[in-house]
Amino acid sequence: MIASELLAQAAFLDGREPQSFPFFGVERRGAPVTAFARIDDRPIQLRTSIEHPDVVVVLDPGLLHTTPVTDGLKEGGLLLVNSRLPPEEVVAPASVRRATVDATRIAVAHGLGTASTPIVNTAVLGALAKAAGVVTLDAVQRAIDQFVPGHRPENRLASSDGYESVRLAGPMEHGAPVLAHRLTPLITVPEGPLATRPSSDLHTAAWRTLTPVVHLEKCTRCNFCWKFCPDDAIGFDSNGFPVIRLDYCKGCGICAAECPPRTIEMVAEA
Amino acid sequence: MAKLTIPAQELMYSGHAACPGCAAALAMRLVLKGLGPRTVVSIPACCWTVIATPYPTNALGVSVFDNPIESTGASLSGLRAAADALGYKDFHVVGFAGDGGTADIGLQALSGMLERRTNAIYVMYDNEGYMNTGVQRSGATPQGAWTTTTPVEGTSRGKPEAKKDIMGLVLAHRPTYAATLNPAFPEDFVRKVEKARDLTGSRFLHVFTPCPPGWKYSSEESIKLGRLATDSGIFPLFEAENGKVRITRKGGALKPVDEYIHAQGRFRHFTPEDIQAFQAEVRLAWERLLRLEKESL
Amino acid sequence: MTRLVMSGAYAQSYAALLAKVQVVSAYPITPQTSIVEKLADFVATGKLKAEYIKVESEHSALQVCVSAAGLGARTYTATSSQGLLLMHELLHWASGMRAPIVMGVVNRAVAPPWDIGADHTDTMSQRDTGWVQIYAESNQEVLDTVLQAYRLAEDPMVRLPVMVTEDAFYLSHTVEPVDVPSQELIDRFLPPRDARAVLFPGVASRLGSFTGPDHYVEFRREVARAMDRVPATFAAVEAEYERLTGRSHGGPLSTYRTDDADAVLVTMGTAATTARGVVDDLRAEGRKVGLAKLRMFRPFPTLAVRDLAATVDRLGVMDRSYTFGATGPAATEVAAALYTSPHRPTISGFFAGIGGRDVTPGEVRRMFGALLAGEPTDVRWIDLEEQQELKIHG
Repeated sequence: MIASELLAQAAFLDGREPQSFPFFGVERRGAPVTAFARIDDRPIQLRTSIEHPDVVVVLDPGLLHTTPVTDGLKEGGLLLVNSRLPPEEVVAPASVRRATVDATRIAVAHGLGTASTPIVNTAVLGALAKAAGVVTLDAVQRAIDQFVPGHRPENRLASSDGYESVRLAGPMEHGAPVLAHRLTPLITVPEGPLATRPSSDLHTAAWRTLTPVVHLEKCTRCNFCWKFCPDDAIGFDSNGFPVIRLDYCKGCGICAAECPPRTIEMVAEA
Repeated sequence: MAKLTIPAQELMYSGHAACPGCAAALAMRLVLKGLGPRTVVSIPACCWTVIATPYPTNALGVSVFDNPIESTGASLSGLRAAADALGYKDFHVVGFAGDGGTADIGLQALSGMLERRTNAIYVMYDNEGYMNTGVQRSGATPQGAWTTTTPVEGTSRGKPEAKKDIMGLVLAHRPTYAATLNPAFPEDFVRKVEKARDLTGSRFLHVFTPCPPGWKYSSEESIKLGRLATDSGIFPLFEAENGKVRITRKGGALKPVDEYIHAQGRFRHFTPEDIQAFQAEVRLAWERLLRLEKESL
Repeated sequence: MTRLVMSGAYAQSYAALLAKVQVVSAYPITPQTSIVEKLADFVATGKLKAEYIKVESEHSALQVCVSAAGLGARTYTATSSQGLLLMHELLHWASGMRAPIVMGVVNRAVAPPWDIGADHTDTMSQRDTGWVQIYAESNQEVLDTVLQAYRLAEDPMVRLPVMVTEDAFYLSHTVEPVDVPSQELIDRFLPPRDARAVLFPGVASRLGSFTGPDHYVEFRREVARAMDRVPATFAAVEAEYERLTGRSHGGPLSTYRTDDADAVLVTMGTAATTARGVVDDLRAEGRKVGLAKLRMFRPFPTLAVRDLAATVDRLGVMDRSYTFGATGPAATEVAAALYTSPHRPTISGFFAGIGGRDVTPGEVRRMFGALLAGEPTDVRWIDLEEQQELKIHG
């Protein structure tokens, strides 16, 4: 969301007409969110979500497994992902160009955020400037100077690093076709707003950046991890050892912090 | 496996939409462990409106009733009246409201419910601000804390006013039972919920729920901060049964507040003098509580 | 059946008693107080077995009903003027929750300046909240309509809250004979509430919930559909009530001597009584005038208004409230209902009885006079014309 607004500010500094807006949904720290940006040479005469983007930027690579990010992407469009992987290894539809930048590494190297919650916006914007050319690096850096509240030199460096290190690849040879943007299905509701499905139908694994790994050899089965889990994401196996339910763990790290013998380690996701 | 020290039953489902490390989610989990499935929870506009997940899903294994932000107290009176009229036995009527929805805009309805002696449990989860709307100050925000409406810039240095004495306001109504609870102490927490459950009349539980994005700390520290708050006397644990006050955790000398303050971004601007002033207020409140314990009947 | 002389306020209380409401909430406001005082008596003396919640505000009064209805209880509350305005937020909650609450409203002026006289501004400001609104003309109609309202509200085809309104003092504090049906008769008419789609102990579900644009519109449409089903359901409810008691109040738009009329005046609430007398007088004088009493304002009886308009060339609409910056709410709706009608009479708007001022036979005559003279007007403050006249003649 911040990246999208900063992109709009940068485009404006480039002398263009930007529009940026978040998709207002359940906005929670760590929860996947969507933001849109339009950039044109004339004032923009549209106030809707974007169904057919030219560029899709994914800040959290985990979303590639959980969210149909490329639905509706235009023929020859670009998918830019914050990922350690080379772009050739990103799975995308056949008509889509791919780019990757290891923005998490760049952010952490410049002290932006923490390993569990890196602030990757500026590194990604630098990469976007190079890969999509919709905005200049100079404008991104001027926007950082004007609108980023703290760590401006570090953010400028992160954007340069993103610009320099972004890698590009063409479309996949045997990729599937782009799927149409999914329309809201016709639904019927009961006459009163009565909700009856358990929330465990919803998985929250995509919220996670760090994953708890239990080293059972030191575990005393004290069950502190279970007791303090705000997501009820810890159960026990038949021997009473903790089992992390990874569909639901949001990676908050409380279990690791509260484990008396420190048997739980928070590990960055691949 | 070590014996479980709190009930095994889980009535808060996974998949809910709380931020990582949310103590308000843990608080709900613990409250429902103490109450069981024959419970209706009335939830005003607050973080939990969203945490409980959108239609058609529901994050709680009990009945959930939505109400506007200012009327949780009245909602409890209505739910209890209906339960009595319809002859529902062993049915717990519970409110689960934030600090703003309780101590600011909901104070009138809370006072009405307490004065009417409504047979219900009112839980206020205190994350010390309007967190669902993006961290604005409430009457429960501590003095000096940064929020988006009490910035630390220009002439503003955080919230100028002191935190409301919510338990004082509640105790003035002489409810059947009132207690402070902290999910960092789950056994004490569940014991108090069970005690409240087994009493009749108005019961009020003030729950301390640290908020990683609102207080600006890393999500794994929610329990640590809760423990520090109690051990430093910032959020003392006590209960009052028919007005008789008893401190339920007294571990020797209070820790200095410094560690608690330094752990949170919302106090980052505190000078040593600010910390001293904060410390002095905490000490005064603690001494008042000790006196109350000695003198209350 | 018993015939008692009682106030319009008590007519509400007796109806709630006969409806065997299970939860009553109350906060006092003049001129509603005697409704809830009488209910307190009924509960204290064991005549009514209900939970009676004395709340600390009208906002809480309606919250109590919304929450109690959410568990399946039959609920009642009453208010007026400022109290209704304070309830505004909860009015939306009640309809959105599909809570079949029945509420008595004593129509009273809105401050400032303070004035406790009859005026429809309070309920007209609530017309977009998803409540059925029925305006009563007599104490008998109050009692009958409250009972009909429960059947309508709880009907599975409807499940919407209903407010039954009466003019301050002209009904609330006026005593007149009222036929009170027997409990046995009403028990046949109004069975216990069928509490479907509510919360139930031990069953995990959430009533209220939240959505994004993906479901919200569907729920709104459900409320709209329920409103659309009100006319047919209400007709059936009225027919059954008439079969049991022999009384009908004439549907959502009740007409009087309109068949061959040159001009018809549309009124709401108590003004209809005086206007009916004037119609008789004018008819005796050989002038062809008629009266239409708009009983139901939500849902608006569009078809009934069109039927009426098909037979008349001049229509007057008397509003007891005013929409600042526009015109009278009833006049606006009547005009809107007729826009696509093949026969469109001229429409004149009159404001009368504002803030409890008497609507006199002389005033009603002047309205008919203007209609018959063929001088359609958008805005005529009849109350003030009377004053000027007095000045001239005094």
